[in-house]
Amino acid sequence: MSEPVSEPVSEPVSELRHDAEWRRLDLRMLLVHPVNEVIRFLPVIIGIFVLGSGGENGGPWHYIGVAIPIAIGLIRFASTKFRITPGQIELHRGILGRNVLTAPLDRVRTVELTATLIHRLLGLEKVEIGTGSAKKGGDSRLVLDSLGREEAQRLRTELLHRAPEVSTGSTSPGTAAGPAAAPASHVILRFDPRWVRYAPLTSSGVLIAVGALGAVGGPLAGSNLISDIANSDAVSSLADVAVSVLVLSLVAGFVVLSAILASGGYLLQNWGFTLTREDRSRTYHVRRGALTTRETTIDLDRLRGLEVHEPLGLRLAGAGRLNAIVTGLDRRSEGSSPMVPAAPRPVVIGVGEHVLAEAGPLHADLVQHGPAAQRRRYIRAIVPLALVPLVLLLLVLLGPTPWWWVVLTAPLPVLGVLLARDRYQRLGHALTPAYVVMRWGCFRGRRDALQRTGVIGWNIKQTFFQRRAGLVSLTATTAAGRQSYEVLDVEEATAVALADAAVPGLVSQFLVRSAS
Amino acid sequence: MADSELGSGPVLRDPANLVSPRARIVWRTGAAIRALVPFVVALVLQLTGAWDLPLWVWIMYAVVALADVVLMPIYRYRVHRWETTATAVYTQTGWIARERRIAPMSRVQTVDLEQSVVGRVLGLATVTVTTASAAGPLRIEGLDRVTAERLVDDLTRRAEAEGGDAT
Repeated sequence: MSEPVSEPVSEPVSELRHDAEWRRLDLRMLLVHPVNEVIRFLPVIIGIFVLGSGGENGGPWHYIGVAIPIAIGLIRFASTKFRITPGQIELHRGILGRNVLTAPLDRVRTVELTATLIHRLLGLEKVEIGTGSAKKGGDSRLVLDSLGREEAQRLRTELLHRAPEVSTGSTSPGTAAGPAAAPASHVILRFDPRWVRYAPLTSSGVLIAVGALGAVGGPLAGSNLISDIANSDAVSSLADVAVSVLVLSLVAGFVVLSAILASGGYLLQNWGFTLTREDRSRTYHVRRGALTTRETTIDLDRLRGLEVHEPLGLRLAGAGRLNAIVTGLDRRSEGSSPMVPAAPRPVVIGVGEHVLAEAGPLHADLVQHGPAAQRRRYIRAIVPLALVPLVLLLLVLLGPTPWWWVVLTAPLPVLGVLLARDRYQRLGHALTPAYVVMRWGCFRGRRDALQRTGVIGWNIKQTFFQRRAGLVSLTATTAAGRQSYEVLDVEEATAVALADAAVPGLVSQFLVRSAS
Repeated sequence: MADSELGSGPVLRDPANLVSPRARIVWRTGAAIRALVPFVVALVLQLTGAWDLPLWVWIMYAVVALADVVLMPIYRYRVHRWETTATAVYTQTGWIARERRIAPMSRVQTVDLEQSVVGRVLGLATVTVTTASAAGPLRIEGLDRVTAERLVDDLTRRAEAEGGDAT
């Protein structure tokens, strides 16, 4: 099984040395996987035990329920091995079916180490290697679950410092000591627990709360409890006022709940957040997590820009988040890796400037998109919001709809005006010596700075209404991050000029002088 | 295409080449099928008495469907265009909403040629050019087969000549 099948004969010496280097997962993973599998199989196991005790002689079933998960863990350990040859990393999996993943070392973009609580107690790390493959499914990354902490860090060093080390012997103890001592590494950002005050302003709290309510509410809805309450005489005898008080207190309760959950989630995820720069390997290094720790290493050569997230809540509180635009990160997380969690804006901008080594992209005044774009913002914000009270008014006139619905929704168009004004003010773009900058959005607003050399194509979209307004949406496509970054609703001539200036020599061959 | 342009700055012109005129047949067939399926379903429901649609609904549907079948392909044929130069690929698609895509030759990763059943009958093919970005491959639909094959050869050769890892 460990015999090389198709190795090139041309470099026998190094091959011989590396042949012996089939490595396996750390034996301690045997303890992690069964625990994980037992948790995953918990419903089945409980079912078996319940059935078993209910039946007359369910003896052996008890043990099978536990044995299967443990067996799966054993099989996974026995069937996984990997090695690093001078040119590539190979991962073998499977006993009957066989799955070989191979990736050239120079395509390794990122290395991520994660450790759940169980991993940490056992001194283990799960290693995920991102290889910037353009597959959209995104499951092409190599996962080693798990290695000893030392081993994992050594592997990361090997993979990211490949140029000199691999040829001189990848298991030399010198490299092993490397990451622990971390020569020439500068801490750029350290987590401040006071930042937790921004957590309730992010949307994640609402999401968690909705999820939690769904988990609790699902079974509740299944039972007859809610309909019983709704149909009971007690409820129907309540006055409208009491109902609205009830609704208001429910809303308030939801807000408090989501704030608490958001804060908890924020602390769990970002506790001990540390961003460091390692000069020797030209990488940035993010470490975070209270229970599950996560370490991401970002190769500076793979960094294509930054996203400054300024959702409404954070913006009003003078805060923001910073994500890196990187090639080869997991598509599931949309290829953006957090560099600063929700934190005060000066901190975010400070780190951003440090990373970009240029103040322009994050500070530069943006070119506004003009009156047509402004009109479009107002129409798009106000029309749908004004329709709500109008339709309700119609319903009131036609039938037995409570009139206070109209009163309640009447301020919506005013909100629309505010929304449109904010959206237009935030809309803008700029071109700096090295970056294309675009900013947009109110609730989920962002300012993206994308390296001009990272742009690998332009899409110019125009809907029917945009064409009438003389506007286009200009999208820069890239191999990194979200894969595309959009300059929204910009005048056609401006868009063309921007695309032409940002990537010289590409668009110019398709330009003509305007005849009109 | 640039009739809404007011300024006198440079304007992005249309790509030079039209696709095969036979592409209109493909679009027209598609539109006809799209129009007929709901029509047949509604007709069955009407005849069995499950639905009772007034006449004006039928007339309006017929007008819209007919416009789609007759006018859409003509209009689309004028919009769908493509062009390649030594350093770039440029496509334009759509009809009500339009999209232009430009990719530098140096970033081209794969060039695919595919033929649907209808395409084989009509001797048409679709060429898809992808880059390292998952956003927006460039698709040229309805090329006649010979042109498509020549284009694929051409693009493959030029992309190879540019080299690099295309990210």
